[in-house]
Amino acid sequence: MFALQLALSGLAQGAIYALVALSMCVVYRATTIVNFGHGDLVMAGAFVVYLLAVLAGLPFLAAATLAVVLLFILGLLIEIGLIERIKAGPHIGFALMCIAFGYLLRGIARAVWGREVLPMPSVFNFPPVFLGELVITADALVIFAAVGLLLAAFFAVFYRSSAGRVMQALCQSERGAALVGINVRAFHGVMWGVGAALGAVGGVLLAPITLLHPGLGASFLIKGFAAMTLGGFGSFGGAVLGGLILGVAEQLVGGYVSTKLIDITAYLVIILVLALRPNGLFGRAIAEKV
Amino acid sequence: MRFYLIPLAAAAIPLVANPYTQFMVNLMLVYILVAVGFNLVLGNLGQLAFANTALFGIGAYTAAMLMAHAGWPFWLVILPAGLAGAAAGFLASVTALRGIRVYYLAIVTLAFGELLRWSYIHGERATGGTDGLAVPRADFFGIALDSETARFYVFLLIVTVLVKAVSNLLRSRIGRAIVAIRDNELATASLAIPTGRYIVLAFALSGFVVGIAGSLFAVLIGRVIPESFGLIELILHFAMVLVGGLGSLFGSVLGAVVLTALPEFFRRFPGMYEMFFGALLIVFLLAQPRGLAALAARWWPQLRDRYYRDR
Repeated sequence: MFALQLALSGLAQGAIYALVALSMCVVYRATTIVNFGHGDLVMAGAFVVYLLAVLAGLPFLAAATLAVVLLFILGLLIEIGLIERIKAGPHIGFALMCIAFGYLLRGIARAVWGREVLPMPSVFNFPPVFLGELVITADALVIFAAVGLLLAAFFAVFYRSSAGRVMQALCQSERGAALVGINVRAFHGVMWGVGAALGAVGGVLLAPITLLHPGLGASFLIKGFAAMTLGGFGSFGGAVLGGLILGVAEQLVGGYVSTKLIDITAYLVIILVLALRPNGLFGRAIAEKV
Repeated sequence: MRFYLIPLAAAAIPLVANPYTQFMVNLMLVYILVAVGFNLVLGNLGQLAFANTALFGIGAYTAAMLMAHAGWPFWLVILPAGLAGAAAGFLASVTALRGIRVYYLAIVTLAFGELLRWSYIHGERATGGTDGLAVPRADFFGIALDSETARFYVFLLIVTVLVKAVSNLLRSRIGRAIVAIRDNELATASLAIPTGRYIVLAFALSGFVVGIAGSLFAVLIGRVIPESFGLIELILHFAMVLVGGLGSLFGSVLGAVVLTALPEFFRRFPGMYEMFFGALLIVFLLAQPRGLAALAARWWPQLRDRYYRDR
């Protein structure tokens, strides 16, 4: 029973990791850029929702929607203003640019907040659900529902709609897509926006269940990487499953071995997976572009 | 010979410096090693790596632990600190031998670095945990290093030797192989150069230099705490290499000299530090991606990066 309860709270945490990993995957698949500043976008989402909900007094749902929209715009602006401009340079420039704007966002959050850690008042006040002896908290229910809906919508759009087919075409070959008249530049911007917005949803869901601080992004970056690596780098389904597995693994390690180890489970997962099975659980072989 | 003119001229600094400025100059010397070592991986190998602060930390902790727990004198711990850094660099990149490259390798170094930092915090008995470890009084072959001036001359000697060594290394077969991997790994491999092994070697060499920088840092600051080797520190390392000029040895020295003193100004304002360095990196990436070294080379062509050709 203890294990099941742990696994359940792990799944709730893992659902957020899954969302973060998926959003990193979107940017990676669409632009072949690994966004090392993505954790800070997640953090920004959480902070904006805090600002709007607690300080400006908006209802949570309105604040959440506004935060996601704002982060979409931010992602778009980053692509247009920063990433697009250094396209001619070496690839390492993209990664450095991502690191740079990540630090910039973190600095802004710290300047606004000072050194304190912020607790956000609980938003979802309905009673928990009991399944036999298992308890599902209201927060976990909201996370499951929101992440489930979002994933269903994402996969439906990507694999079923015509817009999704355009995206798939672009992910496979930019030149080919450009030849049949698809606007590659606009696509890149939009996908950065989508990635940032999806990450922001993770931040929004996270805000009520954790203490907010500007360093939040760094740990989520690593969790996202661990989930992506575990599931196979660049695979959407793999990223989601990897996130869920990571969340459960963290809780089991914390419950049965030591709570000290929760923090480093993600690092160990990355190192072990890349050392033993670099393609992850579901990934295809790493193909290098020549 | 021209190379030695710079340290010779620098040897006159204590004549005009007060203890505080002398301390900042000593810190610059430490960061020159940090930037030169990091540049080997980031600029010359062209590989994104996040473990640099961890390598810096492992050098500092090795020196501090050997001095505090085992009672070794300072001069004896410099080499072990470098070797510990090299071993950590090796471990951080050893997956390269299994074909892990580019982003994957960067992510491994990120995880490895954070893992090391976690062990500094939780290895209380050896490292003193979050309170850190006090470094005993250092001496260098019988000379007590208890004034900033004494430390300066010892540091200057070590830094000169190591920077010269790195400069020679870059002109050797190893250095050229490392730069060739940056420019085109596949073509390099086709010349029968084992690229995986050279990647690991570059990380280990970088770890050696940065590890020694760590031992100097430990002696200079007098206390090693885990917080000195975190993400706040990492952006400073990135900025020094990039602002100086990716891949340029002279640039790394310049970047360290220019940026070392800056964090002092931001200490009182939370967030300013990260905002400033984030913005600085963005400005340089957009406007001057080859750094200050490329700017200086316009007036002083001898400084141009011989290993880089604009494409």
